[in-house]
Amino acid sequence: MTSANPTFSPPISTPIATHLPPPAPRTRAEPAGEPPLSGTRRAGWLRRHARGIAAVALLLVVMFPFLWLVQLAFKPGAEIFEDSLFFVPTLEGFRSLLQGNFLKSFWNSLAVSTLSTGLSLLIGVPAAYALTRWQFKWRRHVALWILVTRMAPPIAFTIPFFLAYRWLGLQDTVLGLAIVYLTFNLAIVIWLMQTFFEAVPTALEEAAYIDGCGVWQAFWRITLPLASPGLAATAVLCFIFAWNDFFYALILTRTNAITAPVAIVNFLQYEGWEWTKIAASGTLVMFPVVIFTVLVRTYLVRGLTAGGVKD
Amino acid sequence: MSTTLTLHPGTGWEAARRRAFLWGLLPSLAVLLAITLVPAAALLVASFTPLSLTDAAGTFRFDDPLVNYRHLLEDERFLRSIATQLKLSASSVALQLAVGLALALLLNGRSKLLRATRTAFLVPMVLPPIVVALIWKILYTPDVSPVHRALEAVGLPVRSLIANPDTALWAISLADTWQWFPFTMLMVLAALQMVPDEPLEAASLDGANRRQLFRYIVFPHIRPVLVVCGLFRLIDSFKAFPLIYVLTDGGPGTVTEVTNYYGFIQAFNFSYWGYASAIAMVILAGVFALSWLVGRLGWNDHDKR
Repeated sequence: MTSANPTFSPPISTPIATHLPPPAPRTRAEPAGEPPLSGTRRAGWLRRHARGIAAVALLLVVMFPFLWLVQLAFKPGAEIFEDSLFFVPTLEGFRSLLQGNFLKSFWNSLAVSTLSTGLSLLIGVPAAYALTRWQFKWRRHVALWILVTRMAPPIAFTIPFFLAYRWLGLQDTVLGLAIVYLTFNLAIVIWLMQTFFEAVPTALEEAAYIDGCGVWQAFWRITLPLASPGLAATAVLCFIFAWNDFFYALILTRTNAITAPVAIVNFLQYEGWEWTKIAASGTLVMFPVVIFTVLVRTYLVRGLTAGGVKD
Repeated sequence: MSTTLTLHPGTGWEAARRRAFLWGLLPSLAVLLAITLVPAAALLVASFTPLSLTDAAGTFRFDDPLVNYRHLLEDERFLRSIATQLKLSASSVALQLAVGLALALLLNGRSKLLRATRTAFLVPMVLPPIVVALIWKILYTPDVSPVHRALEAVGLPVRSLIANPDTALWAISLADTWQWFPFTMLMVLAALQMVPDEPLEAASLDGANRRQLFRYIVFPHIRPVLVVCGLFRLIDSFKAFPLIYVLTDGGPGTVTEVTNYYGFIQAFNFSYWGYASAIAMVILAGVFALSWLVGRLGWNDHDKR
């Protein structure tokens, strides 16, 4: 999967699905024999689309909890405990969010995620390139170490970071949180960008060397532009991971740099059960993520399964 | 992919190139060293001390380095938390693998509809974990839950699953499965596309039925991916936090208190940092053991292609 993504690109080999159905209908249809023509046609249609129908039905079941949250966000507060699905949608919940402190936490989330994404790209992209093009003795070990950092449980980092930040005065700051997010984002950048750089033919760089370019000059002018779709996708993934974090933000922020996920939990704990407002905040927080998912879904798949499928 | 250049023999080009690469790699290594290895070392050191909020002087006291680890062995609550963790991890990972595999087999087709559904099924995995927790909080809260209200309407009122000590852990397991089955689904879908055609064709010409095809040809191809998936998710399941924090807060009692959560409570509710560090070290050891297993199973074979 150096160039094409494994899941959503049209498969090169014919998937088994195309082989499997034919034998089944034949064996089943022949012994029956009796049903009238229209009947068989309908049954045939059903059989042909059985997969699609089952898939959509399952999708509805799986998505139901998610959709319920979204509809709750638009439900008038007075009707929240009523069963009817028919109500006049209201923006009441969102409006009350705007009046409170939620906007600030939303802004903090944006700032932390952007800063962390920028930092990890700045530091990680050159490293990924070096790891791709430079075969040195410890390469495999370095690559593995980088990946293992992503596996480590956050609690192992939070205790030292919490204690150190009290000393350094980085507690409850956007910068401090952005640095902590490097613990997972840097590994993602280095790992993902390697697969994208591998897809760029080395012959192009060699031509640039002959023309007198240095290594980084060739990288900047030739390789990076060619890998820019991958770069964009990596950036989006970093952003999403930072945006989604709850654990670090819960522990390392108090009031000043509080992020949106932590603010939601504060609603749950301190503001009673204002379900419309809570659902509205949840909807707002997931909004950027869902948009990004739709925008870069093919690359996203690669990032989410990072290295999971053998290349 | 080896790029040995012989364009500039003897001009020191190779050395210059190596130096350039080194400069590209060094900042990352330095940062990673500072934010991962140094904290890990600090954690290890802290786990040998009685460091806590009330005992700030205990920071560098090493007179009884193994005291925290000895306590761990006697701490009923800690041992129970490990059992809880194993129950939660095993049940939710098994469910995820089953659901993910089934859905992947169902969705592995070329039609546009199937492709669109595949993308939609990804949503639970990319949602912010806190929103997932919120979604399930709503589902498990009788006042606003559509499920509870429907059951009440047909005359079968049920106690909230998360308030009932017998079901709370399984309720969390279910929510975790909902969030993470897309991961297995994705990986299996990717693996399914690499199943070669020839043996399938040959076998179906020989009269193999669908079940036999799956059992003897498809399954052996996707089994390694399933194993890696299971290990991946097992590692991640040790980190489960937002679901427990929002849904049950470790309760009722301590029935949903997993090791990670217990460590969090010790560190940030009671401020027993030394003791919490020892708990974190145990989790870290577990994660490393599993990661090593993943490495052994050849998932990270970038070089041996």
